[in-house]
Amino acid sequence: MRKLPALVQNEVLKLWLKKRFVVIVLILFILIPIFTYAEHKVVSNHREHFADWRNQILQQIADLENTLSSDRIPEEWKRSRRVAVQQLQYYLNHDINPSEPSGVQFSREFLSNSITLFIPMLVLAMGSDIVSGERTTGTIKMLLTRPVKRWKILLSKLCALTLYVSLTIAVTVILCYLISGFVFGYGGWITPVLTGFRMEGAVIDSSSVHTVPQWRFLLMQAGLCWFSAMIVAVLGLMVSVLIRSTAASLVTMMSAIIAGTILSSMSSSWRSAKYLFSVNLGLTGYLEGTPPPIEGMTLPFSLIILAMWGAAGLFVSFRVFTKGDILN
Amino acid sequence: MKASHAPVLRVKDLHKSIQRHMIVDKLSFDIHSGEIFGFLGPNGAGKTTTIRMLVDLIKPTGGTVEICGHNVQRNPERALKHVGCIVENPEVYNYMSGWQNLEQFARMMDGVDEERIREVTEIVKLEDRIHDKVKTYSLGMRQRLGIAQALLGKPKLLILDEPTNGLDPKGMKELRAFVHSLADEGISLLISSHMLSEVQMLCGRVAIMDRGKIIAIGKIEDLMKEAAGYVNWRFQEMDKGVAELCRDPRIILRNGPARDILPTDTIVVAMPEAIIADTIARLSSRGIGILAVCQAEPTLEELFLTLTGSEVHA
Amino acid sequence: MKTTRWLWYWLAACSLLSTVVLLTGLGMVLNDLKAVPAVSETKPSPSAPSETTSEERVSLGNFKEIRIVALGDSLTKGTGDATGKGYVRQVVDGLKKEFDKPVQLLNNLALNGMQTSQLGERLSNDSGYQYAVKSANLILFSIGGNDLFLSARARMEKKEWAMLGMDELEQDMEETLGRFRSIIDQLYELNPSAKIVYMGLYNPFYDLDNLRIASLNMQQWNKEAYAVIHPYPNMMMVPTFDLFEGRIGEYLSSDHFHPNHEGYKRIAGRMLEALD
Repeated sequence: MRKLPALVQNEVLKLWLKKRFVVIVLILFILIPIFTYAEHKVVSNHREHFADWRNQILQQIADLENTLSSDRIPEEWKRSRRVAVQQLQYYLNHDINPSEPSGVQFSREFLSNSITLFIPMLVLAMGSDIVSGERTTGTIKMLLTRPVKRWKILLSKLCALTLYVSLTIAVTVILCYLISGFVFGYGGWITPVLTGFRMEGAVIDSSSVHTVPQWRFLLMQAGLCWFSAMIVAVLGLMVSVLIRSTAASLVTMMSAIIAGTILSSMSSSWRSAKYLFSVNLGLTGYLEGTPPPIEGMTLPFSLIILAMWGAAGLFVSFRVFTKGDILN
Repeated sequence: MKASHAPVLRVKDLHKSIQRHMIVDKLSFDIHSGEIFGFLGPNGAGKTTTIRMLVDLIKPTGGTVEICGHNVQRNPERALKHVGCIVENPEVYNYMSGWQNLEQFARMMDGVDEERIREVTEIVKLEDRIHDKVKTYSLGMRQRLGIAQALLGKPKLLILDEPTNGLDPKGMKELRAFVHSLADEGISLLISSHMLSEVQMLCGRVAIMDRGKIIAIGKIEDLMKEAAGYVNWRFQEMDKGVAELCRDPRIILRNGPARDILPTDTIVVAMPEAIIADTIARLSSRGIGILAVCQAEPTLEELFLTLTGSEVHA
Repeated sequence: MKTTRWLWYWLAACSLLSTVVLLTGLGMVLNDLKAVPAVSETKPSPSAPSETTSEERVSLGNFKEIRIVALGDSLTKGTGDATGKGYVRQVVDGLKKEFDKPVQLLNNLALNGMQTSQLGERLSNDSGYQYAVKSANLILFSIGGNDLFLSARARMEKKEWAMLGMDELEQDMEETLGRFRSIIDQLYELNPSAKIVYMGLYNPFYDLDNLRIASLNMQQWNKEAYAVIHPYPNMMMVPTFDLFEGRIGEYLSSDHFHPNHEGYKRIAGRMLEALD
């Protein structure tokens, strides 16, 4: 075990010198200002039309209810809208503005929008070639002929990946806050946010709803983001071990994740889809009380499913990596 | 050259089959300290697979590999400590400098400090370029960087797989001198190659592999002797010539499995040197047109023919 | 070795720190899942600005700005208007031209199919509705049409012409009026200083022979509603029945119930004329 920190150091430096992290920071630097601008447009548009956030929410409720009364809208869509109406109503009753623009609020929104697709993509951009890349260049032969057990090498790669996942999410939040704060102000830390919504079919069980300060909410969200990003990273590692070609492993993972997004947005009647990992990635939705993609999914359920996928991924990657022959 | 203590590398009954196909079949050999051991055979003979099994890249189906008394499969951390190797091409991280590469490998071994990195850099004469990105290196420089990393841990056994691939004559000469100087320091070397001339110049002992088996093992001079006494004939009319040649009982036709690597219109026979002139005279008097007669140089092909043609003796 | 060593220290420190922080966040979630605290039922009642306390005569000219809230059924929502404006937006536009002061539509909270019972319930229970009503100084609303015509409309959609009859229109008039009265009371209670405009009903089935008689019921309703509204000095009713009679084809949309854009324009015109 004495060597493990040195091995992790190796892997961390490799990823750094490959300039992967720099690319991610650059992407964030480009994307966040764009979204900040878009959000700014939305906010100023609302300011123009509504005297008060309460009027805005009232109108939102009225609009949602009007769509509910239409027969053309599929029942599954109505379910989520009904929930949204109840939630808005709850915010209104408690006199809490669910979206008071601030740097913290923007970061919160950004995280919850990027957890299913954008952050997994960043993680994959970083880690999908962590093993297959060494195979393609042949450096894996150098790596595995050292006097180090193979599982330690894979573990060091996993550790490095974990560190970078943390770093990615931390940098995302920090950049969001700094960039959007420039427009929306750097406040909003203690704004109360409602959480603990529970879904009973199409009705919100509000018995466990409570307020938390926004900084705490953001931290909770980031924690959940980290968890789902880690699962993606672990599965990416597995695919990277199993598939030689870097491009193929990236495509495999991306399509799995995109398939999940599509499945969730269809909120299909195929109920056993809830056992797929990519349908469960949107953990932050549970905090906000957005209805889950498939009825019956809860936060503990998703956490357990993801953890099981992660454990299976780890098992397969370690098994294959320590036993496999390096033939090319 | 034989050292009294245990061999640096001991291979026993090593075999590997992939999907019931025997790739390497029951190899056994030893390498002693300070010995330069050649691993000779055509491409696809199983040399690379064997070497990969020696350094734990491929798990053998059966048999054992011991390095300095430690089993590679069971105790890779102890065993591989004594091995430096380049498997096929020297693969290094392109996006790092040579120095950073050496640092990477140094961190994976015990007791390799900055001083040692500097030392090996000097040994392979890369001091000037060591801080440049590997991307900018020539093939020869990469080769040298590869050797540098192999030497980092002061190995007792250095394994070089086809080390002369892609080297120019000057580079080859340098490599040769380098290999000999390492051997003088007491390092054992295992060098694989498909070129006899190379092995001839470098190695003391060789093992010759074909189709996953060692078909001969021994000092190179001894093996070469067996290949002597071959003569290649080419005739205007092949059948008549062969028939006429065979009348002399001292002349033996060679038809081995490696027959197909020779030009098809060439007949190889084993015959004493002394009767070549008489035989030419005899054939000419019978009106057989001789296109060429040539005493075979002991090349890998010839050696092969001998060994595969006379397996019983080998 | 120096450069990469420092780089490594920095990376390790930052990433370990962020890992710890993120794990804390995850721990908070798990903690939150376990412990379900009681709801913090501190209901800070929305404080709504009320500009002028009860005044005898409410005139738009006295307001610094005009803040409009629209309530009620599909007529207020503007169903049938292909441009989406309905009468509400057209009133807003008209007021903007007429008055040299800011005119803002705070909310159009109208819902398709809303009935008196629903509106009454929302006004008494829904703090959002109450807030909206309190913060406005001009309230436009329409209600009652669905109560009176619902069964008739359902029949019509099923093309059961023969079943259409007057008895159904008469049925619930009394009860509906009672609920209407309480709506008016609540509106006054919530915001006695706002100008409140009620849109009178019309008979969309004037052209159907067996339903032309419904116009009489319509008039009955309008009369009763006017009687309810009359005592309040800040309320007024704008009649619309005469606008459509005989010109059903021109001013009603294809569903034969809601006005089209032109129809709404005429309603808005009436309102603008009445508002001072």
